[in-house]
Amino acid sequence: MAEAQSSEEEWDALCDLSAMSLTIEKAKMALVSADTKISEDLGELHQLIKQTQEERSRSEHNLVNIQKTHERMQTENKISPYYRTKLRGLYSTAKADAEAECNILRRSLDKIAEIKSSLEERRIAAKMAGLYHDSEPPRKTMRRGVLMTLLQQSAMTLPLWIGKPGEKPPPLCGAIPASSDYVAKPGDKVAARVKAVDGDEQWILAEVVSYSHTANKYEVDDIDEEGKERHTLSRRRIIPLPQWKANPETDPEALFQKDQLVLALYPQTTCFYRALIHTPPQRPQDDYSVLFEDTSYADGYSPPLNVAQRYVVACKEPKKK
Amino acid sequence: MNMLVLSAIPCVRGCRRVQCPDPSDQQDEGGGGSGDAHTGVRIFVNQPLSVHELGRPPVAIMSELKDCPLQFHEFKSVDHVKLCPRYTAVLSRSEDDGIGIEELDTLQLELETLLSSASRRLRVLEAETQILTDWQDKKGDRRFLKLGKELEPGTPVKHKPKKPKVEGKVSHASGTGPGRPKSRNLQTKIQEYEFTDDPVDVPRVPKNDAPNRFWASVEPYCSDITAEDIKVLEDLLKTPEDDAEYYKIPPLGKHYSLRWAQEDLLEEQKDGARVSMAGDKKKGPLTELDSKDVDSMLKKSESQHDQPEDGCPFGHLTQRLLQALVEENIISPIEDSPIPEISGKESGTDGASTSPRSQMKPFSAPHTKSLEVRIKEELIAQGLLESEDRPAEDSEDEVLAEILKTQAELKALSAHNRAKKQELLRLAKEEMHKQELRHRVRMADNEVMEAFRKIMAARQKKRTPTKKEKDQAWKALKERESILKLLDG
Repeated sequence: MAEAQSSEEEWDALCDLSAMSLTIEKAKMALVSADTKISEDLGELHQLIKQTQEERSRSEHNLVNIQKTHERMQTENKISPYYRTKLRGLYSTAKADAEAECNILRRSLDKIAEIKSSLEERRIAAKMAGLYHDSEPPRKTMRRGVLMTLLQQSAMTLPLWIGKPGEKPPPLCGAIPASSDYVAKPGDKVAARVKAVDGDEQWILAEVVSYSHTANKYEVDDIDEEGKERHTLSRRRIIPLPQWKANPETDPEALFQKDQLVLALYPQTTCFYRALIHTPPQRPQDDYSVLFEDTSYADGYSPPLNVAQRYVVACKEPKKK
Repeated sequence: MNMLVLSAIPCVRGCRRVQCPDPSDQQDEGGGGSGDAHTGVRIFVNQPLSVHELGRPPVAIMSELKDCPLQFHEFKSVDHVKLCPRYTAVLSRSEDDGIGIEELDTLQLELETLLSSASRRLRVLEAETQILTDWQDKKGDRRFLKLGKELEPGTPVKHKPKKPKVEGKVSHASGTGPGRPKSRNLQTKIQEYEFTDDPVDVPRVPKNDAPNRFWASVEPYCSDITAEDIKVLEDLLKTPEDDAEYYKIPPLGKHYSLRWAQEDLLEEQKDGARVSMAGDKKKGPLTELDSKDVDSMLKKSESQHDQPEDGCPFGHLTQRLLQALVEENIISPIEDSPIPEISGKESGTDGASTSPRSQMKPFSAPHTKSLEVRIKEELIAQGLLESEDRPAEDSEDEVLAEILKTQAELKALSAHNRAKKQELLRLAKEEMHKQELRHRVRMADNEVMEAFRKIMAARQKKRTPTKKEKDQAWKALKERESILKLLDG
C-alpha cells in the first residue's frame, strides 16, 4: 500500500517536526493539540472496534442457533407451534443483535471520519506554519503518478452510505443529484466545464475555492495543476461529485443503471468524458464499468473501463449534435 | 408449484435469492409485485391462502412445511478473518499498540463491509418476522398472536403504522371462526396491505388539459356571431358620448404663489397660536386678538393686491400715456418745479412716517375708470393697441394649451372609434346574413345528400329512380346552387 506508506511517512515527519523547535509557536501548539486529539481518537476507535467484535460474536451465536432450528424444521418437514414460537424469539433476538451491531459499526465509522477531518485540519495548520515536507510537497511539484494515486485513494475511501431500514439515500449519494440550491463547499471536488485554450469545452476535475452568492459563481482550481489555472465559472458549469458511495446491496436504485449516459473520469486523466454505463457495481467496493464515447473505435465506444462511483456523475446535456 | 422451492433442500438458494436484489423471478411467481424486497417476500404470504382456496382444509396448529412462507435464510455473518484482515489484525492488538493513521482507510472499507452485511441481515430479519406474524395471524391462532407479542416486544417500527390495520381486520374477521371464509377475508386484507406500497411504483400520469384550454381560448374568435353580439355593438354606439365634461375648461383659480403665501400665513398663525398657548395662559386672549389681526392683515394685503402697486388712482393705460407725454418734455424748464412742490407738501403734511399712498389719496379723481376705458377705446381705434377679444394671457398658459391639445386628441380618437364601431356593426350584420345563408347551404347539402341516398338506394335495387325522387334531387340541387350564388354575391 504505497499511499498508506506515504501517509505513514507524513505522520513520522510531522512528529519529528513537532519535536523540533519551531519558529511559529502558535502553529506548533495547534499541531500538538491536534496530535493529542488524534491519538486519543485512535484509542477510542480501537475500543469501538473491540466492542464491535464482541457484538458480532454474540450475534453469531444466535445466528448459529437460527441455522440449527431451520435445519431441524426442514428435516421434520412439519412446523409445529413450538418451532414457530422459537423461531420468532430467535429472530427478534437476532434483530436486536443486528441493530446493536449496526450502531456500533456506525459509531466506529463516524470516529474514523472524525479522525480524518482532524487530519485534514492539521494538514491545513501545517501548511499555514509553512511546514512543507517531503511526503506532502507543494502541489505544484506533484508528479502525475502521485496525483492519480491520490485520486484513486480518495475514490476508494469515499464513505459508503448505509441507511437504516426504510431510510432513503440522501442527495449526493451515488447517482442521486444534489438539490438545486446546493452549494459546494470550499475543498469539495467537482466536475467543472471549462474552456480550454483551443476553445474546446471540457469537463475537468476541480476543487472548489470559493462561491460568490452575489454573482452565483464558483471559483475553482484545476486539480491537475499543470495548467495552474484558476477558473471562475457559473454554477451551471459545476457538478458536485457524490459524497457517499451507494450500496448496491441495499440501495441499487441510487446507482446509475445500465446504458445510462454519464460523465465519467477517464482513467489516468483528470477529465470527464461522456460514457454509457456498461455494468453498475455489484458490491460496495466495486467500480462502474463504463463505455466511453470514442470515435477511434468502430462502434463509437471504448472497451469497458472501470471508474469509481466517486467519478461518475449524471450527464446533463443530451446527445451531441 | 413454487411451494416446492421452499421445501427442504433449496432453502439455501431461496436465501440467496433474496440476498441478491433481483426480484424478477419472484415477481412472476407472485403475480406482480414491486422490486422491493419486502413485497417480494410478502407475495409468499398469499401463497398458502390460494392453496386453501383450492380446497385444501387449513391445518390450524400443525402445518406442512410446504405451506410455510418462510424462506429459511442462511444468516451467516461475514467471516472477518478472511474478508477483513486489517480488522482482525487490529482486534488482536493490545491497547498499547493501537491503530495507525495509515490503517484508517482500509479499516473504513472493512467496517463498511461489516455494516453493510449487518444492515442487510437486519432487513431480512424484519421481513421474516413480519411473515411469521402475518402467517400466525392468518392461522387465526390468537393464542400465538398474543404469545408472539409477548415474545417480541420490539416489533419493527417500520411496520407499526400498517399493522393495526391488519390486526383490526383480523379481529373483525375472527367472529366467523377459523374456517375458510376467514382466510379468504384475510387475503383481501393482505392485498389491500400490499396496495399501500404500490402507488409508489406506478408513476402518476399528470392530466393534460392544455388542448382543451387552448380551444376554449380560441373559441370566441371563431364562433358564429349572435344577435347578442350585434346588440352589444348597437348599445355601444347608442350610448351618448358623455365626454362633455372632458371638454370643459375650468376657470382660472388663484395663482399658486398667492395661495401658497396665504397657506404659509395661516400655518404660521397656527404655529404662533400653539406656541403662545403652550408658552403662557396669560397671553390667552392675546392670541384671539392676534388671529383677528392676521385676518385683517390678510384682507389688507388682498386689497393691496387688487389696487395698482403704486397706489395711483389712474388706470394702467392712462399712466403709460401720461408717462410717454412727460418724458417727451424732459428738457422743459419747469422740470424741477413739481418735485419741490411735492416734497414741500410731504414735509408739510405727515412727515416721513406716512406712506406715499396716503399722500396720494387726496388726488383721487372720480372718473379714472371711465377715463381708462375711453383711453383704451381710443387707442384701439387708433390702431395702437390690439383689441382684447382674444385674451392675451392664454397664449402663455401652458396648462390650458395642454388641455386643448388633449381635448383635440380625445375628439379625434372618439370620432375614429365611432367610425370603427359603425364599421364593425355593418360587418357583423353582413356576417349574420352570410351565416344564415351558410346555415341554409348546410340544410340544402343535407337535402342533396338525402336525394342522393335515395337514388343510390334505388340503383342498388336495380330500379330506375322514380320521377318524384328525381324531381326532389333536382330541386335540392337547384336550391343549393341559388343559395351559393347569393353567398358569393
